[in-house]
Formats: sequence, C-alpha cells, structure tokens
Amino acid sequence: MREDFYRTLSSPVWWGALVLAALLPLVLSSYYLHILTLSLVYVALASSWNIVGGMAGQISLAHSLFIGIGAMLSSALLLKFGVNMWLGMLISAALSGLLGATIAWIDFRFQLGHLSFVLITLAFAEMGAIIVEGWDFLGGASGLLLPRDTGNFRLFQFGGGAGSFWVMLTLAAACVLVNVAILNAPLGYYLRTIRDNEKAAQAIGVDVLKYKITAMVISAVLASVVGTAYVRYLTFADPYLLVSPVITIEIVLFATVGGLGRAYGPALGALLLVPLGEILRGKLGSTLPGLHYFIYGVVVITVTLATPRGLLSLFERLWRGWRRPAA
Amino acid sequence: MLELENLVAGYGGVPVLRDVSIKLDAGEIVGLLGANNAGKTTLINCLSGMVAPISGRILFEGRDISRLTARQRVEAGIVQVPEGRLVFPEMSVRENLLLGGINARARAHRPQQMDKVLALFPRLKERLSQHAGTLSGGEQQMLAIGRGLMAEAKLLMLDEPSLGLSPLFVQYIFEIIDRLPAEGLTILLVEQNLMLTLRHTGRCYVLERGQVAVEGSADVVKNDPRTRSAYLGL
Amino acid sequence: MSELYQALAQGLLIGSTYGLLALGMGLVYGVSGVVNFSHGDFISLGMFMCLALYSAFSLDPYVSVLITVPAMTAIGAVVYIFLIRPMVGHQFLMVVQLTLGLSLVLQNGILMIFGGQPARTPSVVESKLFILGDVVLQVPHVIAFVVSFLLAGGLYVMLRSTDFGRSIRAVHQNAHAAALMGINVGRVQVLTFALGIGILALAAALLLPGTPIQPAQGLRYTVITLLVVVLGGMTNFVGIMLGGLIIGIAEAFGTIYLEGVLGLLMPYIIFVAIMLFRPQGLTWKSRQ
Repeated sequence: MREDFYRTLSSPVWWGALVLAALLPLVLSSYYLHILTLSLVYVALASSWNIVGGMAGQISLAHSLFIGIGAMLSSALLLKFGVNMWLGMLISAALSGLLGATIAWIDFRFQLGHLSFVLITLAFAEMGAIIVEGWDFLGGASGLLLPRDTGNFRLFQFGGGAGSFWVMLTLAAACVLVNVAILNAPLGYYLRTIRDNEKAAQAIGVDVLKYKITAMVISAVLASVVGTAYVRYLTFADPYLLVSPVITIEIVLFATVGGLGRAYGPALGALLLVPLGEILRGKLGSTLPGLHYFIYGVVVITVTLATPRGLLSLFERLWRGWRRPAA
Repeated sequence: MLELENLVAGYGGVPVLRDVSIKLDAGEIVGLLGANNAGKTTLINCLSGMVAPISGRILFEGRDISRLTARQRVEAGIVQVPEGRLVFPEMSVRENLLLGGINARARAHRPQQMDKVLALFPRLKERLSQHAGTLSGGEQQMLAIGRGLMAEAKLLMLDEPSLGLSPLFVQYIFEIIDRLPAEGLTILLVEQNLMLTLRHTGRCYVLERGQVAVEGSADVVKNDPRTRSAYLGL
Repeated sequence: MSELYQALAQGLLIGSTYGLLALGMGLVYGVSGVVNFSHGDFISLGMFMCLALYSAFSLDPYVSVLITVPAMTAIGAVVYIFLIRPMVGHQFLMVVQLTLGLSLVLQNGILMIFGGQPARTPSVVESKLFILGDVVLQVPHVIAFVVSFLLAGGLYVMLRSTDFGRSIRAVHQNAHAAALMGINVGRVQVLTFALGIGILALAAALLLPGTPIQPAQGLRYTVITLLVVVLGGMTNFVGIMLGGLIIGIAEAFGTIYLEGVLGLLMPYIIFVAIMLFRPQGLTWKSRQ
C-alpha cells in the first residue's frame, strides 16, 4: 500500500472536511440538507462504479442490478418476511457480490470485447428491470412502501434529516476512501494494466480473472449497501428509479464529468450535478415540465465541450496555474 | 519542381525535422535515405499535408503550397505511396484502384488510367475482384503503387517500397519505378536500403536526426563517410 | 401453426426497421468511432415533427417525410460539426457523455413543446389490414417493412457502387490512407452522420402510424438499436440487418407465445445467448 493512502487517512484536510460536513445539518434547512444527502448517495454510487468502469476500464451497465437488489430485496425481505433490514442489507450485498462475480467470470470466460461487455451488461440490466417490475414479491410495478422511519437504529432506521445525512456521509466517505485505497494498492496497479491493454496484461502474467472479479465484487457490494441505505431514506422503493438502466447512466455521467478513474472524480461530478439537477427542478420544475432537465442537458453538453478530460483535470490545471503564475 | 526551404516540422510541437532544404527537378528520381527515426516519413507526411510545418516553406511548381490541405495536395499532383502499403483490406483490387483515382483531377480519365495501370501490373488484372487484404506483400505493393498512379501524380513519393518484399519482387517493382519518369512523373524515393536506392536514383539526400547530412549524386553519397555514420550512428 | 407464421411475419416486419435504425448507427461508428446515445431521441424528434406538421397542415406522416428528412439531415450535420466533432479525438466515453446531454436536451425540448401526454398521429393507412393467408398484418407495418428493405438495399448499392460510398468504406478501413487518396475525411464524417440522422427521420415516419408517442420513449429505441448494432458486428451491413430481424422476431415470439415477464425478456435472452458464443457479433470475421 503506497504512502499516499496513509497520508490521506491521516490528512487534516480530509478529517477537517468530514467534521465540517458533519456539522452541516445544524446550519442547513431541511430542503438543502435533503439535496446534499441525495448528492452523497450518488457520490457513493458513482465512486463504487468507478472501481469497475474507471479503474478497470470495464464499462459495466449492470450497476442498477446491484443497487436494485440492495434496495428491493432488502425491502421485500422486511415487508414479506419481517427480516431485519441490517440482515437484509447483508444478504443483498452477498447476493450482489455473487452476481458481480458471475458477470466478471462470464466476461472472462467468453472473452467478451469491450462493446459486447457493455451491451451484455445493459441487457442484464434491462432484464433485471423487467423481472422486478413483473414480480409481486419484489413489489412489481407499484414498488414497495417501507414502514415509517422512526430513527430506531437497530431497525436500520436513521430518522431522516440529520441522521440519514450522517449515514450517507459515512458511506460516501467510505466509497471514496476505497477508491483511494485501491489506487494506492497493487490491486489498482493491476486494474490499470487490465484497462490499458488486457491482452498484454495477461501475457505478462497478471491474473486478469481474479482482479476483474475482485473489482466487480467490491463495486457490487458497495453499490448494494448504498442501495439499501438509499431505499430506507426514500422510504418508498420505486423500481423505475432503483432498478432501471437510467440510474446507471446517471452514475456513469457523474463519473465521466468529474474525471473517470480518478479517486475524487466521481465525487466531484456527483457533488456538482446532483444539486444542480435538484435545484433546477425545484425552481423550474413546475413552471414548464422538462425545462429543468433541458437546462441540465445543456450544462452537460457545455461541460463536456469545455472539459474533455473531466472537471478534475480542469481544476487541477487551474490550481497549478494559480500557484505558479510565472511558469 | 519541388523545393523545401528550411523546413521545421514535428509532432505536438516537438521538431523531428530541423531545417531541411531539398530540391527536386522534374523527371528526377531522388532518394531520401537515413536510419530509422531520421525523419524521412515525417518529411513525406509534411509534403502530403498530414503534418503541418512549424516553420519553413514548401514550393511546388513555383507555388507555395504550405497552406494547402491534404486533399488539395493530391489534387495538385503530390501523391504518397505510404509505408506498409496501407491498402484497404476489405475492398477489392479494383475498388482500391478506383479510390486511388477519386480526386477531381484524376476522376475524369479514371477508366483509361485504370487500363494503363493494369497493363503495367498484369498480376493485378488477374486479381481484380480479390480483397486487397488477401494479397501477398508484393502484390499489395503493386496495388499501392498502382493506386498512387491512378491519382495522376506529378510527384510520386514512395515510402519504403522494398519493405518486407522478396528480392524478386523488389527487382520487379524497381524496374517499374525506373520507367515512371518516362511517363512524366517525378519520384521521391524513401528507403532504408542504401545500395538499392543508390542503384536506382540519380541524386540522394541522407537525413540524420532531422537534418540533411549528405547530398549529391549517387556516387558522391556512396563514397561520403558521413553516409555510413548517419546509418550506424557513429 | 398460424400463430407461428403470425409471429414470424410480425417479427420480420418490425425487425427490418430495427435493422434500418441500426445501419445508421453502424455507419457513423465505422467512420467516426462515435456511438450516439441520443439516437432514439432523434427518432422521437422525427416523430414529433410529423405530429407538428399534421397539427399545423394536416399532413400525413408519409408526406411529411419530404420535409422532415431534409430538415433532420441538416440538423444532423450541424450537431456533428459543432458538438460531436470536437470530441472525436478524446476518450470514447466523452462522446457518450455529450450525446447523453444531447438526449436530455432533445427529450425535454420535445416535452416542453408538446407536453407529456401520449399522442397519436393519424394516417390514412392506419387501420387498414393486409391479409396473407392466415396472417393478419397492419398496413403501416407492411409499408415500413418494404421501405426499410428498399432503403437498406439502396444504402448497400450506394456503399458498393458510388464513390461516396467507397469513401465511407475507405475512411472506415483506414482513415489515414483515405486522406492520402485526397478524400476529405472530415467531410465524409459529417455527411455520414447527417445521412444517419436523415435515415432516422424516415424511420420515424415509418414507425409512427398507429403508435402513440411520448417524449420519454427515446431511450427504448436507443437500447434496441444498440443491441442490434452490436449483434450485427458494429459495421457489418448484412450482419446488422440480420440482427434487426433476429431481435424483431425474438420480440414478436416473446409477445405472442410467452406470457408476461418471460415474453418481454425474449429479445434480451436471445441477444445475450448469441453474444456469449459469438462476441464479435454476426460477422464472418474470426474472433480476434
């Protein structure tokens, strides 16, 4: 494990930022707190996807399966069998990990090229959505309504508001830290060789299968856990939100806008785009339906044209330029 | 006919050619020699408009063509037969040749030009509907040169035509190259093969690390000790 | 037995249009390496343009194409030049990102102008039926089938026998060599993309009669087109048309023979099954 990881772990900037963030519920109105909580959910989700999509270079569109399992399965287990959601979360995470490993194995065993992999994962995601929407146990098309969040921690309830915010903050920080850890560990190195040239990596003896599975399992488990926490926060498990390929596309968007493959890239993308979307929707959503997403789309196009290498690179260049103007 | 004046060119701002000046008169076969990264292909790509010069001028038939696009260079009569042949693998021999003559100037007499090229390379005529990717190396080279001729070139630049070919094919190809000036073409021949080039060219330039190290008639170049050092890096 | 023929016929009919949709995407990919994630939203755009022309001038969609095809071709050229071309040298996902933004813009632009309620565009042939033995087919579907095949055939001829078509194939096979022939690679890329969008305008009119349309449908078409293109091997003409037919037939069989969820899954199951054993798609290239 490289130095950088330990330096990050003990960095006062990191801890300072976390403490400051944790204090936010005291000063923010519930509306803005909600937006920030949502942003943190997507920070976590985008960072989890980054492990497979950014670091390993495997553009998987199956992420909605893991989020969906984490959300719908744990909800269904609670509502239909009275299974405590903590346990439900663990079961879902295990199942997601298994599913992720299977997908990675299929990719390796059948030697799928990049594009085939993208489309096959997309096909799996669509199938997952169809299955969930048609299966009453998982809520069918109408979804599942969880019991009210009364803040009972043992029942996996965090009370909405500040409690949920702190949970999401923890999850988001954890996912980003996992990214930092991987990037500074041998795993990150192997993933990068696989990303840059899989055949060459294999030729020099890298165990491609093992590392692809590892990346996918970590990514899937994280996504599933966040999915469970997310559905608890929403209290309503909506299949069209949680199991649809659309959520994967949003996550991918955050990761690429922010900076694909970088530890903080997806976080940056999510922290910028989610509040933008929510605030636009809040201010414009009722005036003319579609206007807020229209503007959102225009922003995405503009950001893409302006920062072809992701926002993180742009900020870094600006930062460097500001610090050494003479250079 | 062609003059490069103090050409500086490279990739991403890093110069590969530093201050190169070269001249070709109509009807000549001029050789461009040098070791692997001396800048030969860069020079040709500069002439073809694929690499923009950092400074310097390119004069063709008296005109400054430095600002012409790649397409306009072909229309002006500057045609490249690239290194590695680069035939279109999934198109037939016939389609490759048709594409060679796709520029506006050549398109007018494409059928006649096609007959001429096929007469020059009967082997291609036999394989007219075969996919170019399935041809042998020598046949692909014939096709690449035929494609270049289809463009009604005035200046034909050949980048390493002998690469990967059997000696028999090399001899055949170079016999054809010898005949081209009689058809009105001027030839710039880029080759690594020193002896081969000296035998088939009137004059030569030897490039070393982006600059002209030796120039003159074939004999002059052959006997100049700097030629050998340019190749061996001594 | 007649159910079988019905499923087969319906599948072929819709499949040929799926193939046509995918040809546009395949051509663009072959020439610029671009995958347009707003593909389906351009189809939506074509459909809503027909709707608007009907509301304003009572034009039948089959007549509106005379306006929508040139208009969308021009829009395609503009979009490519100003939005997509700047991204072409960069990471593949950047183009995806841009087209995702474009998808949002198109979808919601349509939503703002037309509202979110599903709308139908009447056409003279809408409710007519075509009966072939035991099989009952809707005339708009038959027209879509015939036109799609004719257009695909036309494209094939264009690619094989015209200089423009050869330039497209040359740029796809080796863009550097194509430039050395004097082909204006940039112009070929713009024209190909514009052509692709123009094809979408035509396909939109073919798909329109009898179908209620709404702004959010774009993604569905994009996904289907992606499945067909990848199944077809990305740039293999025959493979793509075949892929379209396969997906169309799988869809039809699913709806007619299987109940509920399993029926809806058919196209995806078939797709995964084929791709697992032939990841290069329906090309005759060996696995590299």
